[in-house]
Amino acid sequence: MNAWKTTAVAVVAFVLVFFGGCTDNGPGVFAPSLGSKTVTKYVAIGNSLTAGYQSNGLYQSAQIYSYPNLIAGQLKLAGATLGTFEQPLYSDPGTPGADGKASRYEIISLVGPVIGPRGLAPGSPLNLSLARPYDNLGIPGAVIFDFLDSASFASKAVPPRSNPLFALILRSAALGNSVFAQAKALHPDLVTFWLGNNDVLGYATSGGVSPAAPTSLAAFTYLYSQAVDSLRAALPNASIVVANIPDVTTIAFFTTLGPHIAAAVAASGAPFRYQKHGETGVASGNTTFTEATPPLICLTGSAYAPLLGQPTGKWYRDKGYPSLPAGIDTTKPFGFHPQNPWPDALVLDADEQAVAATAVAGFNSAIATAAQAKNAVVVDINAFFAGVKANGYFWAGEEFTSEYVKGGLFSLDGVHPSSRGSGVLANQFIKKMNERLGTKLSYVDISALPGIPAGLSKEGNAIPIIPPEAFQELELLWGSR
Amino acid sequence: MTRVQLFAGVLTATLFLANHTLAGGFQLNEHGARAMAQGGAFAARASDGSAIYFNPAGLGFQSDASVYAGITTISPTISFYGPVESDPGVKTSMVSQTFTPFNVYLVAPVTDRLVVGIGAYNPFGLGTEWPNGWAGRFLTTKVDLKTYFVTPTASYRLTDQLSIGAGLNYVMGSVMLGQDLAVSSVDLPTSPHVSVSMHATGVGYNVGLLYKPLDVLSVGASYRGSVKLDAKGNVSFNPDYAALALPTGGVNTTIKLPATGFVGVAWTPMKDLQVEADYQFIGWSSYDQLTLHFAADNSETVAPKNYQDTYMLRVGGEYTMDAFHFRAGYVYDHSPVKTEYVDPLLPDANRNGVSLGLGYDITSHLSVDAAYFYLKFDQRVAVNTIPQTSFDGTYTSHAHLASVDFGYRF
Repeated sequence: MNAWKTTAVAVVAFVLVFFGGCTDNGPGVFAPSLGSKTVTKYVAIGNSLTAGYQSNGLYQSAQIYSYPNLIAGQLKLAGATLGTFEQPLYSDPGTPGADGKASRYEIISLVGPVIGPRGLAPGSPLNLSLARPYDNLGIPGAVIFDFLDSASFASKAVPPRSNPLFALILRSAALGNSVFAQAKALHPDLVTFWLGNNDVLGYATSGGVSPAAPTSLAAFTYLYSQAVDSLRAALPNASIVVANIPDVTTIAFFTTLGPHIAAAVAASGAPFRYQKHGETGVASGNTTFTEATPPLICLTGSAYAPLLGQPTGKWYRDKGYPSLPAGIDTTKPFGFHPQNPWPDALVLDADEQAVAATAVAGFNSAIATAAQAKNAVVVDINAFFAGVKANGYFWAGEEFTSEYVKGGLFSLDGVHPSSRGSGVLANQFIKKMNERLGTKLSYVDISALPGIPAGLSKEGNAIPIIPPEAFQELELLWGSR
Repeated sequence: MTRVQLFAGVLTATLFLANHTLAGGFQLNEHGARAMAQGGAFAARASDGSAIYFNPAGLGFQSDASVYAGITTISPTISFYGPVESDPGVKTSMVSQTFTPFNVYLVAPVTDRLVVGIGAYNPFGLGTEWPNGWAGRFLTTKVDLKTYFVTPTASYRLTDQLSIGAGLNYVMGSVMLGQDLAVSSVDLPTSPHVSVSMHATGVGYNVGLLYKPLDVLSVGASYRGSVKLDAKGNVSFNPDYAALALPTGGVNTTIKLPATGFVGVAWTPMKDLQVEADYQFIGWSSYDQLTLHFAADNSETVAPKNYQDTYMLRVGGEYTMDAFHFRAGYVYDHSPVKTEYVDPLLPDANRNGVSLGLGYDITSHLSVDAAYFYLKFDQRVAVNTIPQTSFDGTYTSHAHLASVDFGYRF
């Protein structure tokens, strides 16, 4: 009996010592925190990407998922006393286009599919009477020049800018006569700054036509460093986080139609004829999409892609040409004949891509230099999107890609992020802030954000059809400055 | 360029169910309360009906016809902290479940040297269930894998010291998988819930050898070949949005259960005391990927697993006093799952287990064995999980197991 008792005692002792009971000790409590930082005011400066512009419009149900608003939410979870993060909210269906109707794209039909504005009466501003500047100073269409520009906001609503959103968002010079002045007046201790995209995007999305060149590198470098210097001088103790500019070829706007057209071209056996940079008549562009850098087809061409091979002058009618340009013969098969080519404005050819790539590389170098000089943190959005384009982006079993609509990251205009895409962007900012500012912010739960609204009664088709007039807004935003 | 590519393409095969797995480390080690009470260190003795599992050669030394049957309850407690991708501080507890593998063994001597038997038992199984709507719902909400082995066995005692044995494994299995389907683009009123239900059959073998060079020493070795299970069944989606063109209907896969081998040494240092130490090899590298094939659109998903071959160490002993048998044991189970492949379908980790048990001879024919086993998983930190998983965090797990078996000797 003693042997049994001894054995039993030894075994029980072994169990207790070795396992310390049956409790599972977790990894310890994670409490979001601001680290050594104090954040009482956060101001976001930028363009449409910052404004929460989605699917070709600015509207409340997208603005509430702007990446700055999502970041503000995570800051509050970590104890930041921000109060309400004020945005220039605009009720659904959002801001009007040139025709006075809401410009927002929706999925009108999954048969086709047809994507575009519904012709609805626009919404109205909801927060105009706020007696101070907005915390979200993202202005769709803003270029780097606009940050310090103190010209009257109303002057940008008329040609050549034709952009009423400066006046809508900045409202009164009494609140500050520039984006910078309004940001400064808020005395933020955290600023995110993401400008510069439109200095190359307008060139790229217009097929290198309007404007015919990106902002010059010298001008950009000067304006950007002036902007960051001004911010630092005005806010010596603030945390300043800037984001760089993604390669334009990563956006769905340029990656959607190309494969469809390449397939049609391969099926026809004839090469695709397109106008190279600056050509207005007979085209010299000629491709089967097999070269190393094939031309990128703009999403603006979606209404014309189904007409490939047909005798058509739709492009010239839609654009209101009084007469056909010299050398053009619309009885020739569209896109397959040098005399009825795919128009220059709907394609970013290899030379134009090189111009855009050079601009992006130069701009990003200028951004890095300016940020380093003034102790600003850089979020490398460019590297992030390059990774997404190559490998997709995974989140807890959900896969996102840069593909149009189905990839989940881009809204229906193929340029601006969806709500989930905004969450992904917010997390890139948060990740960098945690790395560099010592904060311990939790991340935005991407899967809790809404997807693109869609009726789900019918099957979709391969080529999205977007009415040509639907792109007027994009052209107005970026077309000239 | 199929008609539905643009929108239904969100669900294309490369993404759809890409994370499904039947999990790893899903070997069960409870095949008889007597062996379980000794950490499963039993291959060098194999002195009851569970020899059919541990070492078929053990039957050759059994002179009586017998029945040995029982049941085990397994009650795991598993928690996840994370995901790091959103909030590492959130704790999610797995839905509490109890599993009940069973064992039945019949042994019948044919001649003095030839003994046959048949057994039914569950060598592989797994069940995990996470709460509805939890952060990992696009990876898994439920896994239920059961296998039933039926093993006719024959053993021949070549000499008074040496016996050999072999068995044929007829394997039936069932697999249920549940998860929510991630549709990354459009907004759905409800994410479709995916349910996969499959049945499988397969055939394998096992062989063994038991050698008793001295009265106080025995050595055993056994090997169970891998079993290829062909699983077929159905996948359904709720709600099943027509526009998404989901591949409702037939689904099939092949699961290769790993080969495993035991080597053990048992020693009788004093009268009424037996101790044994075993090494078990498990060829988990057979589980390198899982491919699900969907009949509706002839698509496939491939989930990389890349499990590693692994081992378990088992020690145990039994002290007999009159009609009572006091037992204890210890197990170390090395995880086959590499860190980057850890996922919530089976958050595997290295495990340490201790067992205690008691046997009682009610009559000279009838006996009962009871065992308790406490299994503690090392805290498992999943970092840099593969892209398809992208679910980093920390898992903590333990399990209580209890088993009872009745034996009757004719």
